[in-house]
Amino acid sequence: MASTATEAEFVITRVFDAPRELVWKAWTEPERLAQWWGPKGCTIRVAKLEMRPGGIFHYAMQFQPGHDMWGRFVYREIVAPERLVFVNSFSDADGGITRAPFSQLKQMWPLEVLNEVTLSEQKGKTTLTLRGRPINATEEERKMFASMHESMRQGFGGTFDKLVDCLAKAG
Amino acid sequence: MVTDTLSTTFAALADPTRRAILARLALGETTVSELAKPFKMSGPAVSKHLKVLERAGLIARGREAQWRPCRLEASPLRDVASWVEHYRRFWEHSFDRLDDYLARLQAKERRRARKK
Repeated sequence: MASTATEAEFVITRVFDAPRELVWKAWTEPERLAQWWGPKGCTIRVAKLEMRPGGIFHYAMQFQPGHDMWGRFVYREIVAPERLVFVNSFSDADGGITRAPFSQLKQMWPLEVLNEVTLSEQKGKTTLTLRGRPINATEEERKMFASMHESMRQGFGGTFDKLVDCLAKAG
Repeated sequence: MVTDTLSTTFAALADPTRRAILARLALGETTVSELAKPFKMSGPAVSKHLKVLERAGLIARGREAQWRPCRLEASPLRDVASWVEHYRRFWEHSFDRLDDYLARLQAKERRRARKK
């Protein structure tokens, strides 16, 4: 369904002051990926990285000693140095899919998110675009995801942004 | 059951009129007839939407028979909004680190090139 793909997309674009080859390596070599993947303050231990379609990147994310949060990518497409498609999910120590491990968002975090990363280079700088959307989601989850993005883009008259602000303040 | 609650919330939020009703309620509690005004909808049509929102736990309604003010129940909605926010933030933080990593790497390469 073409419409689903466009409706439900989540897009982030970022320009890096580095050639595309280098950005590609940062995404595809385990010791490099472990240097930056994940929020600040966490360390990544790479359990497995198989750079081939169907291969898995299985990692433990650690924010404090003794507390591993497992996650995985399963690669779908690898076209060096410009395109990487993978499915991201939380996981257990054996690499099986799990729900988000933190209670706050457990119910709202999609089980699996399909991510498409594209890299293009202009004058030594690399533009990275990441598109993400939940897959294997329930119809309701998909609709909701789509409507969240629609409202983020158009703010349906700006009201939704305000609503989210209000809610954030309401604490 | 967790999944049922989640589906109900998602289904309730999937409709643009219901989202607009919630956005109006974010400004403060009000009546059904006030809510109906901007939508060119009959009272019963609005009531139907309100029932869906109420079942999903997104709004609560007062008990007074005539004036049954509707108000927003923030927490389910906040949960939904927060996943998108968290996901975006997760990537933005990772990209900040990638930016630093690439800068360090290139600085190292330049130093090495100068030594040669």
